[in-house]
Amino acid sequence: MPRIILQVLKNVLRKPFTVKYPYVRVEPPEGYRGAPVIDKEKCIQCWQCIRVCPDRAITVSKETKKPSIWHGRCTFCGECAEVCPTRAITMTKNFELTTYDIQRARSE
Amino acid sequence: MTFVIPIGPQHPALKEPEFFRFEVKGEEIVDVDIHLGYAHRGIEEAFSRRNYKHNIYLSERVCGICNVVHSTTYCQAVEQLAGIEPPERAKYIRAIIMELERIHSHLLWLGVAAHQIGFNTLFMLAWRDREYVMDLREMISGGRVHSATNTIGGVRRDLKTEHIPTFLRGLEKLEQSTNYYIKLFESDRTILARCANLGVLSKENAIKFCAVGPTSRASGVETDIRRDDPYGAYDALSFDVAIEREGDVWAKGMVRLREILESIRIVRQAIKEMPGGPIRTKVDSQIPPNETVERTEAPRGELLYYIRSNGTEIPERVRVRTPTYGNFASMKSMFVGGTVAEIPIVLWSIDPCFACDDRVALVDSHTGKTRVVSFDELRRWRK
Amino acid sequence: MMEVVNFVINSLVFPGLLFASLVGLLYVGIDRKVTGHMQHRIGPPIWQEYLDVGKLLSKEDITPGAAQSLVFNTMPLIALGAIVAVMLFLPITSAQPALTSVADLIVIIYLLNIPAICVMLGGYSSGSPFGASGAARYVVQLFSYEFVFILAIIAVVARVESLSLGTVVSYQAQQGWLVLDWRLLPAMIAALIGAQGKLLRVPFDIPEAESEIVHGALTEYSGPKLAIWRLVYDIETLVVAGLLAALFFGGPTAYVIGDAQIPGVVDFLIKTLAIVLFTTTLRNIMARLRIDQALKFYWSFAALLAIISLILVLVVP
Repeated sequence: MPRIILQVLKNVLRKPFTVKYPYVRVEPPEGYRGAPVIDKEKCIQCWQCIRVCPDRAITVSKETKKPSIWHGRCTFCGECAEVCPTRAITMTKNFELTTYDIQRARSE
Repeated sequence: MTFVIPIGPQHPALKEPEFFRFEVKGEEIVDVDIHLGYAHRGIEEAFSRRNYKHNIYLSERVCGICNVVHSTTYCQAVEQLAGIEPPERAKYIRAIIMELERIHSHLLWLGVAAHQIGFNTLFMLAWRDREYVMDLREMISGGRVHSATNTIGGVRRDLKTEHIPTFLRGLEKLEQSTNYYIKLFESDRTILARCANLGVLSKENAIKFCAVGPTSRASGVETDIRRDDPYGAYDALSFDVAIEREGDVWAKGMVRLREILESIRIVRQAIKEMPGGPIRTKVDSQIPPNETVERTEAPRGELLYYIRSNGTEIPERVRVRTPTYGNFASMKSMFVGGTVAEIPIVLWSIDPCFACDDRVALVDSHTGKTRVVSFDELRRWRK
Repeated sequence: MMEVVNFVINSLVFPGLLFASLVGLLYVGIDRKVTGHMQHRIGPPIWQEYLDVGKLLSKEDITPGAAQSLVFNTMPLIALGAIVAVMLFLPITSAQPALTSVADLIVIIYLLNIPAICVMLGGYSSGSPFGASGAARYVVQLFSYEFVFILAIIAVVARVESLSLGTVVSYQAQQGWLVLDWRLLPAMIAALIGAQGKLLRVPFDIPEAESEIVHGALTEYSGPKLAIWRLVYDIETLVVAGLLAALFFGGPTAYVIGDAQIPGVVDFLIKTLAIVLFTTTLRNIMARLRIDQALKFYWSFAALLAIISLILVLVVP
């Protein structure tokens, strides 16, 4: 008799391993690299973030003269958050970034 | 009278596009013709347009499953060019993340191999256990797949002491599951019926065709870059190299399952013996002119990076030779003489990662001659 | 006149097309849900098969240019007609089926072969190498399980000494289930193995091995034609389970528990569901075999069981 039959019959009586997302949410751990968020008050416009981004995802926004990160190119590596001298950019835990309009998916 | 069965570029047996043209007589395979190049993205050209720091993230994206080992090899090569050593703690953290990636890659292999032979229950169970590894990777590096922790001169993120108990619990669960899969692989009669004595690669052929990684270790060739040419923290860590003698699909599976156990052992050692200290050193952004070759043991075999620098911030030439590219030549000897029903599982037994291996040179599988094709010719290539 | 109306209601509503499709699709949905739980995940809801067949019926009907369209298009309908006809011969509410004839077990065996032949012809006429490969494997598989299945049925026939399914059921109502007779136990095991091959379930789903030859003989079918093939497979599940229930497990018997009178159809549904769940368990614990290994297995192990049973019935009183 195959060995796996015990495991299979045990599984029928157990709760499934699946997490019923999106009705049940699992919180990512501390330090998870989700969407970056810019605090405009702290930014001193040194533009180190633009220089260090590997994908050229950060540009200067015309209205606010502060950086704006486009999610279409961002790889969520966290280099901008690491290099910012005033900690104006932080990586949040938000990973639910789907949108209908890719041009408007920005963090600013 | 031979009949042609095309496998690819789109086929349920392949996870990535390549074209295999099998000539069969009834159910027996007579000849196979391999055409590569469907996943060519021009990455080597892209390497020579970005500076060294940005290239780390590009090298991570050569392959999704083995991304950490790509970025580690690249960083180690650039550190050799610059002539500096990363600190000890950084080497241990790199070893931990690389071994976690090996565990994840082999569990993925096990699941898809079970799916190819029709055993969907084992597929679901193996990928359920893979979630434990993904959670550990998420905890240590901030991302489930792409870790983005490597940088030139060390690592960017430290392993916190409060995470260590969770780590050890996760490793214990993985060890239990892997022991169960090893018992299953050895005793289940239908798995043995579908995997034993199939796709045999003899030891002479493995050496002749330069097979690498678990593909060659399953044929009895005792080679492992971590032991023969140690890099990083591996000269201080002790582990065994899994070897089998038969060379068939079953032996390749057993080598991979045993390697998971060895990786768990290495991670436990590394966590215990990790020294304190800094995790990165400062490196100048301009690298003096030099050239170097760096090899590491990816989950699929030997990964090789050749980098040439010329004194500026941008590398002059980066050449990547991935392990699947080395394993292709041995595929014909594994297929000929087998049956059509074996094609998916024998193909998957070398753990192909086609995204990694499309580079510029083409190998003619009939005559064995190599020809370098220019970018222009590739654009005008018609078949 | 009344017989014509009766026949039309029998063949289209109960126990014909409507009843068979509703119950068959429900059982396959339950099978998928239980498979999901066995693999430690949540499966699809149990009415998923209705939604799948409904979605396929609403798609565009395409015939590939390289196919021979007359054969390609009529095969699903002939298969559906044959399998619904077998439903009329099975005892569902009582020991009397809707249609009887002199030797209905032989008629059932012949009718059960027609969907298999239709799948083969559909695969060969579809003009693709995967279809031809799948149809070739189906021929070999038919050659393997049919012998075992027929031998198991002949063992039962030799025991009861009648070729009519209604007689087998009423015999079991008086003498107890045939599976409890120790001489017929090997035949029941052989029949269950044959059923696993007939229903194309792992470890014998070689003609439709998804990772090797896309979908086997049904590769080029899509839209409403594929919906009819799904319906044929699912009704076949119900039919084969019903046949095994009638042959070995007593068929539909009406019970009286306390004050309530439980009709025979409830017993039929429970027994067929149990057999379907048994095949589900078998399909989740094994890998798929190769076609030559399946051939060897059937002609050595399963055929031996059936022959032993036949000899025991004929020799031991």
